[in-house]
Amino acid sequence: MKRIESKLNTASSEFAANAAHNRRLAEAFREKQRAVRHDRPQRDIDRLRQQNKLLVRERLELLLDPGTPFLELSSLAANEAYGGEVPGAAVVTGIGIVSGREVLINAGDGAVKGGAWYPLTVKKAVRALDIAIENRLPVVHLCDSAGGFLPLQAELFADKYYAGRIFRNQCILSKMGVQQVSVVLGHCTAGGAYVPGLSDYNVIVRGTGAIFLAGPPLVKAATGEEVSVEELGGCDMHTSVSGTADYPASSEEEAIAIARDIVAQFKRPQKTLIEYLPPEAPYYDPGELYGVLPRDIKQQFDMKEVIARLVDGSRFHEYQPNYGKTLICGYAHLWGYKIGILANNGVLFNDSSLKGAHFIELCNQNKTPILFLQNITGFMVGREYERRGITKDGAKMLMAVSCSEVPKFTVMCHGSFGAGNYGMSGRAFDSRFLFSWPQSQISVMGAEQAANTLADVKIRQLAREGKKLSQEQIDAIRDPVLGEFKRKQSAYWSTSEIWDDGMLDPVDTRNALGIALSAALNTPIADPRYGVFRL
Amino acid sequence: MSIQNWPFHTVLVANRGEIAVRVLRTVRKLGLKGAVVYHAADRNTAAVKMADVAIEITGATPVASYLDGAQIIAAAQACGAGAIHPGYGFLSENKSFCEAVEAAGIRFIGPTPQQIELMGDKVRARNFVQKAGFPVAPSAIEDDDPASFVERARAVGAPLLIKPSAGGGGKGMRIVRDLALLAQEIERGRSEGQRYFGDGRLYAERYIENPRHIEVQVLGDGQGAVVHVFERECSVQRRFQKIVEETPSPALDAALREKICETAAGIARSIGYRNAGTVEFIFGQGGEFYFLEMNTRLQVEHPVTEEITGIDLVHEQLRIAAGEALGYGQTDVKSSGHAIEFRIYAEDPARGYTPTTGPVLLLHPPQGEGVRWDSGILQGGEVTSAFDPMIAKLIIRGRDRSEAIARADVALRDTVLLGCKTNTAFLRRLIAHPAFVAGDVHTGFLDANPQIAAEPALREESLQALLAAAALSTRPMRDVADTVPDMQAAMGGWRN
Amino acid sequence: MQHAFKLGEAEHNLALSRSAKAYRLHLDGQLIDIDLKTGADGRAWLTVGERHLPVVIATRGDEVFVHLEGEAYALRYQHPLDRLAAQAHGGAEDSIRAPMPGSIVALSVQAGEAVSKGQTLLVMESMKMETTISAPRDGVIAAIRYEKGQTFDRDAVLLSLEPLS
Repeated sequence: MKRIESKLNTASSEFAANAAHNRRLAEAFREKQRAVRHDRPQRDIDRLRQQNKLLVRERLELLLDPGTPFLELSSLAANEAYGGEVPGAAVVTGIGIVSGREVLINAGDGAVKGGAWYPLTVKKAVRALDIAIENRLPVVHLCDSAGGFLPLQAELFADKYYAGRIFRNQCILSKMGVQQVSVVLGHCTAGGAYVPGLSDYNVIVRGTGAIFLAGPPLVKAATGEEVSVEELGGCDMHTSVSGTADYPASSEEEAIAIARDIVAQFKRPQKTLIEYLPPEAPYYDPGELYGVLPRDIKQQFDMKEVIARLVDGSRFHEYQPNYGKTLICGYAHLWGYKIGILANNGVLFNDSSLKGAHFIELCNQNKTPILFLQNITGFMVGREYERRGITKDGAKMLMAVSCSEVPKFTVMCHGSFGAGNYGMSGRAFDSRFLFSWPQSQISVMGAEQAANTLADVKIRQLAREGKKLSQEQIDAIRDPVLGEFKRKQSAYWSTSEIWDDGMLDPVDTRNALGIALSAALNTPIADPRYGVFRL
Repeated sequence: MSIQNWPFHTVLVANRGEIAVRVLRTVRKLGLKGAVVYHAADRNTAAVKMADVAIEITGATPVASYLDGAQIIAAAQACGAGAIHPGYGFLSENKSFCEAVEAAGIRFIGPTPQQIELMGDKVRARNFVQKAGFPVAPSAIEDDDPASFVERARAVGAPLLIKPSAGGGGKGMRIVRDLALLAQEIERGRSEGQRYFGDGRLYAERYIENPRHIEVQVLGDGQGAVVHVFERECSVQRRFQKIVEETPSPALDAALREKICETAAGIARSIGYRNAGTVEFIFGQGGEFYFLEMNTRLQVEHPVTEEITGIDLVHEQLRIAAGEALGYGQTDVKSSGHAIEFRIYAEDPARGYTPTTGPVLLLHPPQGEGVRWDSGILQGGEVTSAFDPMIAKLIIRGRDRSEAIARADVALRDTVLLGCKTNTAFLRRLIAHPAFVAGDVHTGFLDANPQIAAEPALREESLQALLAAAALSTRPMRDVADTVPDMQAAMGGWRN
Repeated sequence: MQHAFKLGEAEHNLALSRSAKAYRLHLDGQLIDIDLKTGADGRAWLTVGERHLPVVIATRGDEVFVHLEGEAYALRYQHPLDRLAAQAHGGAEDSIRAPMPGSIVALSVQAGEAVSKGQTLLVMESMKMETTISAPRDGVIAAIRYEKGQTFDRDAVLLSLEPLS
C-alpha cells in the first residue's frame, strides 16, 4: 500500500485561516466538555463530600486501569436540553479498560440532580447498553441515582426505548453471556434497583449504598411501616439476608477495588480475526486536520487529506481511482486493523453510488470493517440523473449499507445532508459507532435552502391571495426558520439529542476509531446476505 | 611448618556459622577430615555442606544443643574425631567441657582447663594479672565481700562499669554515670548474669571515658614459647559489641605498640599459655592502658591478624594442640599492610541495632583484590533469632589504611544480601565518617554519633527507582499492566 | 491509585501501566517510563526515565527486596483489597507486637486481667538486652500468645488487648 501524497500546502494562508478557525472550534468544544464534566453547584459537591461520596469522574479514575484510554460517549448529551441543567444527561458512558478487559461503563452522576433520570439520561444509557450488546462488551454500572425525574416521566417511562429498555438490555446481555457488575454507590430505587438486581455481580457500599423498590418515605405512605434505609435495603441486609447484593464494601474505594477484582475474573473474549499489521502512526500530522477542514460548510475539500491524517502510515489502497470519483473507496489500516473506507469527495452520482455499493460488498466478502467519512450534500438530482436511475442506484447503496454484516463506523466530518446521510451509514443504519466533528452539520437539506424553500411556499401562498410581501416581511418569515434550522443542524444539537455517540476533536478520531474497532471485534462477523438490489 | 603425621585425623568443630566454616577450611586444607555438629536449624548452612561429616545434635533450644558437651563428645567419638575445635562462644571457654573432652581421650584445641578457669573468671584473672605486675583499672569485686559491694563500687566513683564476673562478650555490662541508679543497675546486671552464665556475681570498675579497645593476639605452645601477633583495634562498638576491627591500630606508635604487645605476651607467658589467645586492654586517650580480660580462644576478629601476617591462626592452634612446639620466635612474626574486618550483622542500626530475621533469598558476596568473606550462611538459608545476629565477616586488606577503607567501601557496596536487613549500608556510612577516616574513634563513638546509625532520608530519585523495581517485580501490579491490550497500552491515558 | 508499597513506615501509593515499549510508573502525579530487564540470580537492569541502574531483586510473598546503589531495601506490597479493607476497619491497634525478635523472659499479666496504661505486661529479651513491654492504654488482656521462654520474630503479636468493659 502506498502512501497518500498530500497536496495540502501547509504554508498557505488558506491553511492557516482554516487551522485557526477549527482550532477555535475545537477549543470551544473542549471548554464545553470541561464545564459539563466538572462544573457542578457547590452545594451538590458539598452534599456528596458530606456523605463520603466521590464525584463520578473520581470514581471513573479509580475504576479504570491506570494509564489506559477511556473513550467517553456522548459527553455533551442533553447539553442543548433542559436549559442546560443536566450536563452529560447526568450519566457518564464510555469504553475503558478495567483489569485489562475492555468494558462499557455506565456511571450515574450523583452531582447532577441527584443522578435523576431524565429522558435523555435514559436514551444515553439505553444506547450505551445497545453498544454493549452489539459489541459484546461487559458492563460496569456505577449506580448513584435518585430515580426517574417525575415531571418528565411520560417521556422516559413506558415507550419501547424508554427506561424499561435499560433492564431489557441487561437481560439480553446476560442471555448473550456478556457479564455485568454493578457497584451500588448510592440509592437504587424502584426501576433503578433492577440495575444491580440484573447484574451478574454487584457490590454495595455500607452506609451510602441502598437497593429497594420503594424508599422509606414511600413505604411509610404505602403501608405505614417505618423503616430505616439501612434496614430496608442497606449493605448488610442485602449481602447477608436477601442475597440481592453480593459483596459488602466499607468505602467507595473498596467497592470499586472489589469491582475491579470481579472484572479480573471475566473471561477475555476471543476477538474476531481480521487482517492486521503492527500499528503505525500516520505519516501526516493529524493536527493538520484543522487546516484541511474549510471554514464554510458549503466549501469542498479533498477527503483524501483527511484519510492521510487518520490511517496507519498514511497508506491507502484506492479502489477504482478513476471511476465515480466523488466517492473515494479503498483500504487502509487503522491502529493496525484493516478497514475499508468510503469518503465523500462531492455529491453522489450514479457511478459513485454503484462504486460505493460494490465496495461495501467487497468489504463484506472479505470481512473488512468499514469506515464512512461523511461530507455529503446528497445524491445528485435532476432529470438527467433520474433518467439514469439515481434513485435506484442510491437504493443499491442503502441496501448494501443496511445489510452489511461487517461493523460500520461513521464520522460526520463536515456536511451530512439529505439521503446522503443514509447512503453513508447515518444514525439509522446501525453503525457500531458514529462520531461528529464540531463544525459538522446534519439536516435534510442546507439551512438556507430550507429557509428559502419555506419562505417560497409562503410567498406563493400569499401571491395566490394577491398579496405581495416586502423584503422585510420575507425576512421575518425566513430568519426564524433559518435560525431554528441552523441550531438543529448543528453538531451540538445532534450530539445533545444523541444522534451520535459523541463529538470528537478531529485529532482524537484515530484513537476513538481504534477503540471502537477493537470493541467491535468482540462480535463475530457473519457471512454477507442482502435483500433485493434493484438492478 | 605443617606436620606430616597428625596425632588425629579427624577434627570435629563444635560450633556453627562462619567460624565452623573458617575452621573446617584449614582442617581440610591440611588434609585432615572435618566434622561438624549441627542443630536442625542450621541444616542448610555452609558448614554442614562443606564438612566431611555432619552430625545432628538436639536440645531444648538450638543454642542449648551447641552447649551440650556430652552430646558433642559422643558425636566426636562416633565419627572418630581425635580433636575438637570449639570455635568461639558456646563451649570454647568452658573448663568442664575441656576436661570432659580430654577425659574422653580427645584433644581439646585450646588452652588447658586451668588456663580457662583462671582467665574465665574476670575477677580471678584481674587479680592474677595485677599480682603479676601488669596494669589493671581501679575496681570493686563483689566476691571480696558481697555485703559491702555496693558501697565499694560507689567508692570507685562514677562513671562505673558493672559486669558479670562470669561473663564475656559484653553480655550484661552496664555503665553507671549516676550513682543514685547504682543499686538498680546492679540488680539488673545480676539478673542478666544469672540468666546468661548461671552466676549473678558482679564486679565494678572505673569506666574510662572515651576509651579505645585494643587487644593483642598471642600464640603459646604450652611448652614455654609465647609470641604476640600484633594488636587489633576494636573500638567501634555498639552495645559493647565490636563491629569493626582493624590492625594495626591507628592509635599506636611503634613504641606504644611494642609496649602493649609485650605486656600481652608477658601475661600469656606468665601462665605458660597454650593455644591462640587474646589479651584485651582498655586504652585511655592519654595512652594509658589496663588489662581487661584474656580470651583463651580464637577471636571473631582473628582474620585481620592473619591478613597482615600471613599466619593461619587455626593452623597454629591445630599444631599446638597436636603437641608441636611453636618453632619460631617473636622476630619471625612480621606484618605488612592494613586489614579491617567488618562484622555483617542481621540488624537494623536505625532501630537501636535490633536484630533482624528473614530468609537469605539472594546472597552475592563481594569479590575483588584484598577481599575476604567469612560466612556460614548460604543463599536459600534463613537468619533466625535463635543465634547471634552476626552472619558474616568481611575482611579487607590494603597496602595501607586508606586503601583498605577505599576497598571496603566498594566491597560493602557490592555485598548483596536480600531477605534480611543487614548493617552494610550503615558500615559504609561509618567508614565515610571523618573521625573514622582519621582513626579517631573510641568505644563510645557510635553512641556519640547516632546520626551514623540513623537511616538517611531517601533521595527522590532513589525512591522512584525502588518503587519502579518493586512494582515491576510484583505480580498483581504487573498482571494489571500486562493484561491491557497492546493498542490501549500504546494509547496510554488518552481521553477524548 | 490503590496499589501501595510500604517502605519503612512510609506508604507510597502508585500504579503501573504498560506503554508501547515497556512500562510507566504513576507516582505523585508523575508518569515515569520504567523497565526492568532481568538477568541471572536476581540481577537486573532497571530503567527509570533516563537513568539505567543495576539492581538486584528478590521477592518473597508480598515482600520485595531491592539492592540499589549499595543498599538493600525491603518494600512490602499492599494489595488494594487488603489495604482498603484495613483502612475501613482501622481504629485503635489492639495487638501488641514484638518490636524485635526475641524471647519472653517474664510475663507480668494473665489473660482476662485488667491493666492500666504504662503497666508492665512482659519482659522480653533480645540481643542480650531486656526490654519491658508496657500497656499502651487501659484495657483487658484478651489473649497472651507466647509463654515464658518462647521465642518470636519481629512484629509477632505478643498479646492482645480489648477495651475495659
